[in-house]
Amino acid sequence: MSEFECIATEVLENATIVKFVDQRVMNPARIESLGRELLSLVDATSATGIVLNFEGVSFFSSAAINKLIKLESESKKNGLQLRLSNLRPEVRDLFSYTNLDSLFQIKDNQIDAIESL
Amino acid sequence: MESTTQHWRYDDHIPSEPDCCATIVGMVLEQLEKNGWGNKDTFGIHMAMEEAVMNAIDHGNNRSPDKTVHLVIEICGERFYSKITDQGEGFDPAKVPDPTQEENLEKDCGRGVMLIRNFVDIVLYNDKGNSLELTKQNSEAKA
Repeated sequence: MSEFECIATEVLENATIVKFVDQRVMNPARIESLGRELLSLVDATSATGIVLNFEGVSFFSSAAINKLIKLESESKKNGLQLRLSNLRPEVRDLFSYTNLDSLFQIKDNQIDAIESL
Repeated sequence: MESTTQHWRYDDHIPSEPDCCATIVGMVLEQLEKNGWGNKDTFGIHMAMEEAVMNAIDHGNNRSPDKTVHLVIEICGERFYSKITDQGEGFDPAKVPDPTQEENLEKDCGRGVMLIRNFVDIVLYNDKGNSLELTKQNSEAKA
């Protein structure tokens, strides 16, 4: 049984792949849990990097984005690389509008994301 | 030909609880679908409403059980309108740091306000800063 409620993880090659359980990441309590679960990966993983695969995610609130920013910061401190992949166009736009595509490396698909690590 | 769209209006006060935001957003999404709004516009309205109502609950009312958020929402096939008013002290949106600036990228504040502006056509705050009006036209509506 998975130790996580908000994410599903697997290790592929040199990457920890993370998929989101919720299609709409907007519930504040779930976002808090999501943040904790993502941060726990930083210490737990022995991979080179973390790939957040957004397949199936149709909505992502600014509060959820804040958790990704924290993850990015902690990953960097621990020498881990972070990639985002498989974003729907509307979700991808969120990162463009907020200029966060300069903070995150965003790839079209999971294969590209793994290869870029 | 008979129009399949219908005018929907909601006018009520909701408690300062996040679950109430989710309920309202769910109702809005249902009405947008009934009125034939496309995915892109629907996503934008979803984003704007989520951020605006959660800002009112969290930052405006501090989730106080004694305070409510007054919501007026109107949806038809061509236009979306909402007025969201909290019972907080208000704020000056012009003083919110620009979250797209490099020095602010990793800060938590200001991103929601900025996203609201990006996803609807018109955003109007009152002078006190505790009430805002959102308007968006259906980009796929036939003239």
